[in-house]
Amino acid sequence: MGSELRFDGKVVVITGAGAGLGRSHALFFGKRGAKVVVNDLGGTSTGGGKSSAAADKVVEEIKAAGGTATANYDSVEDGDKIIKTAIDAFGRIDVLINNAGILRDVSFKKMTKEDWDLIFRVHVNGAFRCSHAAWPYMQEQGYGRILFTASAAGIYGNFGQANYSAAKLALVGLSNTLAIEGEKKNVRVNTIAPIAASRLTETILPKDVLENLKPEYVTPLVAWLAHEECQENGGLYEVGGGYFGKLRWERTEGKLFKLGRDISPEAVRNAWDEVTDWEKVTHPANITESLGTVMSNLSTKSKGGNEFIDVDQALGYELPELESSYDERDLALYALGVGAGKNPGDPKDLHLVYERNGEGFYALPTYGVVPALNAIFKMASEGQTAPGLNYGLDRILHGEQYLEVMRPLPEKATLKHKARISEILDKGRNAIVVTHLDSYDAKTGELLVKNDVSMVVRGAGGWGGERGPATDLNQAPERAPDAVITEKTSENQALLYRLSGDWNPLHVDPEFATMFGFEKPILHGLCTFGFAGRAVVSAFAKGDPRTFKSIKVRFADSVFPGETLKIEMWKENELKVLLRATVVERNKVVLSNGVVEFYPEIPKPKAKAKASLSPAGERVGERADAPSITAAMTFDGIGAYVAKTPDLLKQVNMVYQFKLSSPDSAWVLDLKKGTVNAGTIEKADCTLALSNADWLDMVSGKADPKKLFQGGKLKITGNVMASQKLDFLKKIERPASALSPTLSPAGERETAVTAAMTFEGIGAYVAMTPDLLKQVNMVYQFKLSAPDSAWVLDLKKGTVSSGTVEKADCTLALSNADWLDMVSGKADPMKLFQGGKLKITGNVMASQKLDFLKKIDRAAMPTASAVAAPAAAPASAEVLAPKIFKALQERLAKNPGLAKEVDAVIAFKVKDAGFEFTAELKGGSPSIKPGFDAKAGTRIVLTDEALGALAKGESAQSLYQHGQLRIDGELIAAQRLGFLKQLV
Amino acid sequence: MGRKVNVLGVGMVKFQKPGASDGYEVMANGAIKDALKDGGVDFKDVEQAYAGYVFGDSTCGQRAVYSVGTTGIPVINVNNNCSTGSTALYLARQAIEGGLAECVLAVGFEQMQKGALASGWNDRTNPLDKHVDVMNAEQGVNQAPFAAQMFGGAGREYRWKYGTKRETFAKISEKARKHAAKNPFALFREVLSVEQILASEDVFDPLTRFQCCPPTCGAAAAILCSDDFAKRKGLKPMVHIAGQVMTTDFASSFDGKSMMKMIGYDMAKAAATQLYEKTGTGPKDVQVVELHDCFTANELLTYEAIGLCPEGGAEKFIEANDNTYGGQVVVNPSGGLLSKGHPLGATGLAQCTELVWHLRGTAGDRQVENAKVAVQHNLGLGGACVMTMYKRN
Repeated sequence: MGSELRFDGKVVVITGAGAGLGRSHALFFGKRGAKVVVNDLGGTSTGGGKSSAAADKVVEEIKAAGGTATANYDSVEDGDKIIKTAIDAFGRIDVLINNAGILRDVSFKKMTKEDWDLIFRVHVNGAFRCSHAAWPYMQEQGYGRILFTASAAGIYGNFGQANYSAAKLALVGLSNTLAIEGEKKNVRVNTIAPIAASRLTETILPKDVLENLKPEYVTPLVAWLAHEECQENGGLYEVGGGYFGKLRWERTEGKLFKLGRDISPEAVRNAWDEVTDWEKVTHPANITESLGTVMSNLSTKSKGGNEFIDVDQALGYELPELESSYDERDLALYALGVGAGKNPGDPKDLHLVYERNGEGFYALPTYGVVPALNAIFKMASEGQTAPGLNYGLDRILHGEQYLEVMRPLPEKATLKHKARISEILDKGRNAIVVTHLDSYDAKTGELLVKNDVSMVVRGAGGWGGERGPATDLNQAPERAPDAVITEKTSENQALLYRLSGDWNPLHVDPEFATMFGFEKPILHGLCTFGFAGRAVVSAFAKGDPRTFKSIKVRFADSVFPGETLKIEMWKENELKVLLRATVVERNKVVLSNGVVEFYPEIPKPKAKAKASLSPAGERVGERADAPSITAAMTFDGIGAYVAKTPDLLKQVNMVYQFKLSSPDSAWVLDLKKGTVNAGTIEKADCTLALSNADWLDMVSGKADPKKLFQGGKLKITGNVMASQKLDFLKKIERPASALSPTLSPAGERETAVTAAMTFEGIGAYVAMTPDLLKQVNMVYQFKLSAPDSAWVLDLKKGTVSSGTVEKADCTLALSNADWLDMVSGKADPMKLFQGGKLKITGNVMASQKLDFLKKIDRAAMPTASAVAAPAAAPASAEVLAPKIFKALQERLAKNPGLAKEVDAVIAFKVKDAGFEFTAELKGGSPSIKPGFDAKAGTRIVLTDEALGALAKGESAQSLYQHGQLRIDGELIAAQRLGFLKQLV
Repeated sequence: MGRKVNVLGVGMVKFQKPGASDGYEVMANGAIKDALKDGGVDFKDVEQAYAGYVFGDSTCGQRAVYSVGTTGIPVINVNNNCSTGSTALYLARQAIEGGLAECVLAVGFEQMQKGALASGWNDRTNPLDKHVDVMNAEQGVNQAPFAAQMFGGAGREYRWKYGTKRETFAKISEKARKHAAKNPFALFREVLSVEQILASEDVFDPLTRFQCCPPTCGAAAAILCSDDFAKRKGLKPMVHIAGQVMTTDFASSFDGKSMMKMIGYDMAKAAATQLYEKTGTGPKDVQVVELHDCFTANELLTYEAIGLCPEGGAEKFIEANDNTYGGQVVVNPSGGLLSKGHPLGATGLAQCTELVWHLRGTAGDRQVENAKVAVQHNLGLGGACVMTMYKRN
């Protein structure tokens, strides 16, 4: 392919060119028009002797073939003389091929200093001297090609060639750096590792192999790398016998240890599989790429750890979600397990164990620990633990337990548990690992229970990490307790309790207990915990557990079944009780630092914000904890506004997630479906995070969202463009006063307006869908009630009007609310009919043709909505186009070279600003002119905002992909819109 | 390798606009009867039926087949978005090739509604949510029909890469209409100029209305059989399936940060590569192609994905008229989805029908001369790409 690679006028110096590879190169370059300096000392292959015969012979051969050449007989150690020969004879030097070499093969044991030095003098020093002498000429003329000749022996090693191997690889290093230093001046430096029959190999390879390893098979690569057209630089190649290949460094991604803690040789050994994993590799091409990995590791410090606990890996780890369910039977069994129901004659004692109890059946709130702990046991038994926690069960003790119920537990539920390692503390000798669990109602997503399970890991501390608070919270006061309940556990208490799910044999199997150093099986710590919780409820809540909020205890010692518990309680305030539990028989504190908190009243289930607005199956995840009433009101107001503004859905058609802080709450505004809910959703188009106070200012119009955003007070993630569609929020405050909590969200007058809107929408749809008339060809009379209104949909003529008509094919009567549900797709006409809510007279079959109504509210009017959608540019913002136009003129005046860079005529139409200009950035007299030159090679229509974005440096490609630029003509020129950058 | 699979008979009904068509079972009845007649067999000979459709309650397949006969045979309902028809064909082909049956029916039908495609289920995960995520990340989401945003977005990405002219996209529609003018089965047979196409309303830049296939109602069917069966019945089928490949999304659809990849560029490319390798027949040996031109942008991308022209070479390919009569290969002689219409379940089998006619030399005015090898490309978002190569016996 293509023309012959020629070297006419180029001066090529080849060292060691009297025989072998060098001779082959020399003859070839001579043939291709180069002026060749043939250097050869005329010595033996082991470095002895000297004669001019070898070089002269090659020169004669070149000349005989019609080429130009001159000989040089100096040692490469006098490289400057060789280069001088080139300058003297031909006036320049373009290509230097460092080829000369000798061998002094001998096993390392027998190698002398002379063997070593001689090899280095010829190969390394020689190549250095020649290259160093040629370098200034090449730099000066801005062109040069240097080749080094290395060897597979250097790359891979070879017996008996310690000196030669070392010298050959030294050349690779030299080449790598010269390639970098020569880059700018167009001096390219490469290295070949040839295999060929020559004086240096005839002693090591068998004859028949040598015959097929002609030097002529290496020369083509040398010639290509030496050619002006070849831009390869810093490469290393293996070549010979018809093979041509390039080498590069490959390394494993390896193992990165976080810095800030000791890295032991054991850790390196344990990570050896990762260190040497050739499945995951990188190919650093330069030192920056090589160092990148290390540099990235320097910026992240370890949180510490040791062989038991790796805080970096474990802390924050989220365990896989688990589900479990319970029912009345589980609640009753648990209650029995913690000592309830001992007086079956007393109805009050039955309400924890009898599901049909006339006095009520309540879940004991401390049951909340059971499903959560069982989930942990399940994960542990399946081998699911957080990474970085490498200790056995024998090391752990349940240290503390915190439980909070968000409301009275339902009688039965399916729960979804989310667990994460929330805290790891280094207590010196021991460590503490806290697992936080949130348990949700799997159906509604309502958060029901929170647990903090605090485990002491014995002997696993001491890495110098965070110790946590040292204060001893909730200590039992000095004063006499306000209430004391003494209760004897039964001999079989543990046998009963374990049926709730903690199957550890330590609590039932005497042999097992002995193994753990106990004289007999011990009672579950959480059983004692349940006794304590029940005691507080009984002493301070008259046995009704429904206002119970939370309990926290420290497990101080173990209890044997049958022992008597003394539970002392101190009322701190109306909502807080401290407690301590002691085993009477041994006078040992078993639960310390206990505290129970109550709600001021029975908390209600957190129902969805507006049941009527949220269709079934709405995906709502985590619910906010007690959202502030005021924020809730605003979202109620938004819900009402959305309900009576159906067009909004078409215009906006986005799902927003709001995350408010202090107090925290989360809200989903779904303007695809038209719903407003508390909670979070996975797939919001756009998430807005701001403080509760800023939010209230924003919806009341006191704060401008744009300014909040610019000031960093409003954080937007996801589709930022979506946030611009929230302007309607400003409108809510004034006309609707819907934010006022006293007003019902949908007054009568407002609903009437909504019905009118739906018929308007139907009118628009009918107008756009002429085929409808042919298909339906009926006249419908609608009679809505509460509030009353009447409408005629004439699908013979294609008209929609209010009022009544005499000859309708079909009359439909239904309530206003059902009508709205019907057209929004929430209610099925068929079901309304069957349920008697929709009455049809006249031609009943005609009503079946009304299915098209369902479509109207959704995607069926794309074109109409596109027309109706307001222009994206905010009216309040300053118009940027004229400013950018002026700045661009100034930029061109300062830098006329811009035209050369852009080399295109681009016309801009800023449609919303009514501003047009043409950038003639081409030819000798470039200009930025007002007006849209329709003949411009590239024509762009965009908004003022998009132009502003370009001027701010946003990617033109991304704006184009987002549909913000309409480009006609030469689109490629749009790739050079960078000339607009930094104009504002 | 399994047994040779012959296409014994094909048939289709003329496609219609939504609302103007017969019911799905009536359309399917027409297509099946035509295919049986075309193949010279009786419904009693059919051992299994694969019935493809997207919109409708369960077991519409039985209802459609029952309209021709109730012989108690297995009927399998197939649903695979826009590639439903060829998925039914794929299963039928497997049954014959694997020696499980001798004579099998594949039928596809669709009774669509007006307007852009929309999800019928708002209470559960949308199967395209991962695709939409990519789109949202790359270009946001607006009110245009979703499919237009997806394929149009891929068109934008391509334009940006290669500077393709707006007219080039329109030329594909112009060609489609020209071809359709000669196809009595096509829905839109009026010839349109590039100017008219560009002047139609914008749907999603660079797509205008005339560059989007319309929702359509229709049905098509094919009867496949083994050599043994043909021999026993004394029939001489003229066309066989030389190879067929189905691919679904690769990771690149979702992590490729590319609209082109998201709409199935890599899926089509892999299917084509496998098909050419399997059959030993390359794109240059093909005379006629039915290709999934749901939007002009997709036809343009698919030229490259299936190797009809080099990557970046589509504009040149189009400008040289290499995609029509007299050029390198005739693409969509039927008028394609753009002009013939796109009843989702029927499309794959209508493509098959068209190609079989060309290979038999019975395609009338629009016959592609010397058609010996034909290739079919049918793509569904969600996703699946089925490619089939047919050869003359």
